[in-house]
Amino acid sequence: MWTWIFRHLPGPAVVRALLVVLVMLAATLALFTWVFPWVAAQWPGLVGRPDVAAAALGGPAA
Amino acid sequence: MTHVEQARRRAARGAGAPVGVLGFLGELFLTLGVVVALFVVWQLWWTGIGPVRDAKEQVAQFYAHVAPAAPEVVASAELRTDDVPEVAQVAHGQTLGVLVVPAWAGKTENRMPIVEGVTPDVLDRAFAGHYPQTATPGGLGNFSVAGHRRSYGNSFLHVPDLVAGQPVVVETAETWYVYRVTGHELVTPDRTDVVAPVPGSPGALPERRLLTMTTCHSVRYGAFGNDHRWVVRAELEGWLPRSAGTPDVVAEMEAA
Repeated sequence: MWTWIFRHLPGPAVVRALLVVLVMLAATLALFTWVFPWVAAQWPGLVGRPDVAAAALGGPAA
Repeated sequence: MTHVEQARRRAARGAGAPVGVLGFLGELFLTLGVVVALFVVWQLWWTGIGPVRDAKEQVAQFYAHVAPAAPEVVASAELRTDDVPEVAQVAHGQTLGVLVVPAWAGKTENRMPIVEGVTPDVLDRAFAGHYPQTATPGGLGNFSVAGHRRSYGNSFLHVPDLVAGQPVVVETAETWYVYRVTGHELVTPDRTDVVAPVPGSPGALPERRLLTMTTCHSVRYGAFGNDHRWVVRAELEGWLPRSAGTPDVVAEMEAA
C-alpha cells in the first residue's frame, strides 16, 4: 500500500519520502477528527463511562 | 537479457506477483496495527485536550459571575453545621458550582465545574456531572457526581488518593460546602443504589448529608478498565458563606 503510494508519487526519492510522511500525518488527523469519534459513538463499550446508571438502563452510554 | 536469466532473477526474488500481494497485505496489517495504537493515543490523550479547555473556561465563567470569596480568613473561618443553606436544582447542562479537591492540587485540574447531567455531552467535556435525581450540594441525602477516570481530561484519575479524612469541597455561588471522605467501595456499573439518598437502601429516608463520586475502575486493569465503578463516599463536615472567607482546607491548598 505505502510502497504503491511511494511509487506513484512524483519527484525525487527525498521529496516522495516527505510526501508519504505528509500523507500519513493527514490520515492520522482524519482518524482523530472524524473516524475515532464515530467509532467510539458506534461501540460505546470502547470508551468507559464513569456513571452507575447507564449500564442498568441499557442505554447507549454503557 | 535471456529468458533464462530473467527466470533466474524472478526465482531469486521469490515468485513475482504473489510477493506484491503479500507485501501489500503485510503493509495493510501493519497499518491496521498502527491505527489501533493510534486509537489508544486518541482516547488517552487527544480526547482530553478540548474538554480540559472547556472545563477551565466553564470554571472561569462561574467565578466571573459570583462575588469573589473574602480572601482573608476571618478568625480562621469556623465551619458552620447549623441551617445548611439549600441549593436549587438546575436544568440539564447548567453549572451548579465548582468541585475543589485539595488532594489533586498540582496533579490534575482540581477545580472542575459541576454540571447537571451524567450524559456524554456533559461528562466528555471534563466536567463533574451531577446525577439529576440526587440531592444538591449540602442537601439532605446523597449529592452524587460522576467523572471520567482516564480519557476526556482524566478528571477523576487520582481517585485512589481520596482516602478517609481527605476534604472534598463544593463551591457554589453563595456557599462553601466542606465534605470529608469516609471511604470507598468498588461496585459493578449496574449498582444505581450507590447514589440513592441512603446508599444501599433505595427508598429509605435520608438523615445525613452525603457526597458520592463515581468513576471508572477495573479490578484487573485499574484506571484503564471499565468493568467496575470506584465509588468515593464523603459526609458534610460543615459549610461557610463565601462572604465569611475561605475554608482552611482550600486556603491551605492555595498557599501550598
